[in-house]
Amino acid sequence: MATETIEVTGHILDSLLLPKILDTILEAGCDYEILDVSIGKTNVDPSRAVIAVTGDDEVLGPVLDDLQVHGANRTVQPDATLVPAERDGVLPAGFYSTTNLPGEVRVGGRWLPIENPEMDCGLVVRGDRAVTVPMHRVKAGDMVVVGSDGVRVAAPSKPRDTQVFEFMGSEVSSEKPKGLLVARVADRLRAARERGGKILVVAGPAVVHTGGGPELARMVEAGWVDVLFAGNGFATHDIESNVLGTSLGVSVEEGTPTEGGHANHLRVVNEVRRHGSIAAAVEAGYVTGGVMRALVEKGVPFVLAGSIRDDGPLPDVITDTVAAADAMREHLAGVQVALMLASTLHAIATGNCLPAGVETFCVDINQAVVTKLADRGSHQALGIVTDVGLFIRELADELMGQP
Amino acid sequence: MSTTLPWGRRYLMCPPRHFGVLYEINPWMRTEVTVDSDTAFAQWERLVDALQAAGAQVEIMPSQPGLPDLVFTANAGIVDATPDGSGRPGRFVPSHFRHPERQPETAVDIDWFARRGWKIERLPDQLDHEGAGDALPFTPEGGRTVLVSGYSFRSDAAAATALSQLLGIPVRLVQLVDPRLYHLDLTFCPLDGRRAIVAPSGWDRYGRKVIEALVPEPLVLTEEEALSFCANSVVVERTVIMPATPVRVGRQLEAWGFEVVECRVDEFLKAGGGCRCLTLALDVRLSPEPAGER
Repeated sequence: MATETIEVTGHILDSLLLPKILDTILEAGCDYEILDVSIGKTNVDPSRAVIAVTGDDEVLGPVLDDLQVHGANRTVQPDATLVPAERDGVLPAGFYSTTNLPGEVRVGGRWLPIENPEMDCGLVVRGDRAVTVPMHRVKAGDMVVVGSDGVRVAAPSKPRDTQVFEFMGSEVSSEKPKGLLVARVADRLRAARERGGKILVVAGPAVVHTGGGPELARMVEAGWVDVLFAGNGFATHDIESNVLGTSLGVSVEEGTPTEGGHANHLRVVNEVRRHGSIAAAVEAGYVTGGVMRALVEKGVPFVLAGSIRDDGPLPDVITDTVAAADAMREHLAGVQVALMLASTLHAIATGNCLPAGVETFCVDINQAVVTKLADRGSHQALGIVTDVGLFIRELADELMGQP
Repeated sequence: MSTTLPWGRRYLMCPPRHFGVLYEINPWMRTEVTVDSDTAFAQWERLVDALQAAGAQVEIMPSQPGLPDLVFTANAGIVDATPDGSGRPGRFVPSHFRHPERQPETAVDIDWFARRGWKIERLPDQLDHEGAGDALPFTPEGGRTVLVSGYSFRSDAAAATALSQLLGIPVRLVQLVDPRLYHLDLTFCPLDGRRAIVAPSGWDRYGRKVIEALVPEPLVLTEEEALSFCANSVVVERTVIMPATPVRVGRQLEAWGFEVVECRVDEFLKAGGGCRCLTLALDVRLSPEPAGER
């Protein structure tokens, strides 16, 4: 799909030129968006309309040629303005702030695709490549796009396979039959797998608290997870539940607090620190089961990002948040489905890095998390409001059958 | 009785001394068809006589060798004879011909108008427009003059915007869709403040709506009638001088109180031109002025 902007001036209303142009666009199977209309005050003043026309590449060109006959011309697109960054980690004033949508930058009259759409970044042109670069990674001398001239972004489009999305109807669903939803999510995971796409899981500690750990581990073992993002809490409680049978001191089996259990997770963190890493603790036989062990044994990469209230933390936790976000970015290429499981901060942080094209499912008992994710620009996220432990169990059963 | 056309009493014409079908730039032109010069001349003179008999003045522009279509003065440009207080006869916007064969006519036309004191206003170079052939004014009773401009075969739609800005009048665009009716003046002939001869077969559906909204009482031609070129007529007050008069059309015009004068110009039809094409009204006033009964 491509978008071009056209402009038509004159007595476009009295001459029915505007309706004619819009009809022509629709009849060709293209879409339009009227960006600007100014109507002449008297019947001598010309009116002017600026229209963005979107359509398949092979249709768009001929349609625009047709429209030219009616006096609608492509607006002359200027090249993007490029300004070198003066210092490392500082974008030039007035820098173009990116969206997570696919887009293009015009340089030397050519449109370069933006290689890695990510929101809230700078846009850097290197030779004939255009890449999003987070502020802190900009280097002095990088040619950064300033202003919005010469940048165009594809309108958010519905995924081609709209099954799940149609089914959802509303974006956040607390009143939908969960069984059916789970089946549809499983379908999407299978479809991504068939296309060779990667599945990303972002997990919060509630996955373990609600008893979803073993099921998620089962999914990892069966190859349904290609990369996992989490924080210190998830990894800690996952290991705690497998080593000591508690999650934050509460027995996972019986749901009752254990005596002195409030320190259980600290003791576990301490032991893993003694081993030097989670992988070392797994190898030494200290970690006997759970998601982290499954990841290590399957060789599935994970990124544990730290936060200010972490206990320990585990030796694998990246405590420099900027470095953690960069580590997450390293794993995003090829991700087609993201499952956000009961995690607020990590889900939003991940959503911020994901291109809009990644199918994102946000599972949380709290509707606000899903809304928050969308409010921060991840409009592609679809929410499933439910208990995460039950969700994972059903999803695992759906994918692999009952154990 | 409706008001008569506020213009059409003074015409510019060019004798067919060098007329012939020397190239093919519309579906009517066939270079193998020969034009009988004497007949052409006689037909042209009869048209001059008919115009004068109807009360119009005719001014003559000398013909030029190598410019066979100079005879079709309607295509010279757009005339606006509104007085601007400068004492000049008015403004003239010369055509930008689409076909290179006719482009040398422009210099001759400009020369004629400039020598007589007309102010020459130019369209932007890149926009084609073939003058009164593709633009005719319609002044609805009690309303403001609107320039109806045809486009596609010879003129650009975008030229209408430039014309509107240049002349300060509203322009309504009509897309021409039948290559045999390649100029607006083959499909549209204003008769007075309510009526016009119209050939909707030559327009797209939007153009039909535009004219429908503008002309309260159209005389709607069938496709066959339109192809007789009867819309390419010259109106002098209540006289309609027509290259062909389909019976139904003639009767309707007479019923409306017009006198119909048929003036055969068959030699010129060989080049795709009728009576209107052979004339350029010099008394068209496009800018607003009080619409008095005449």
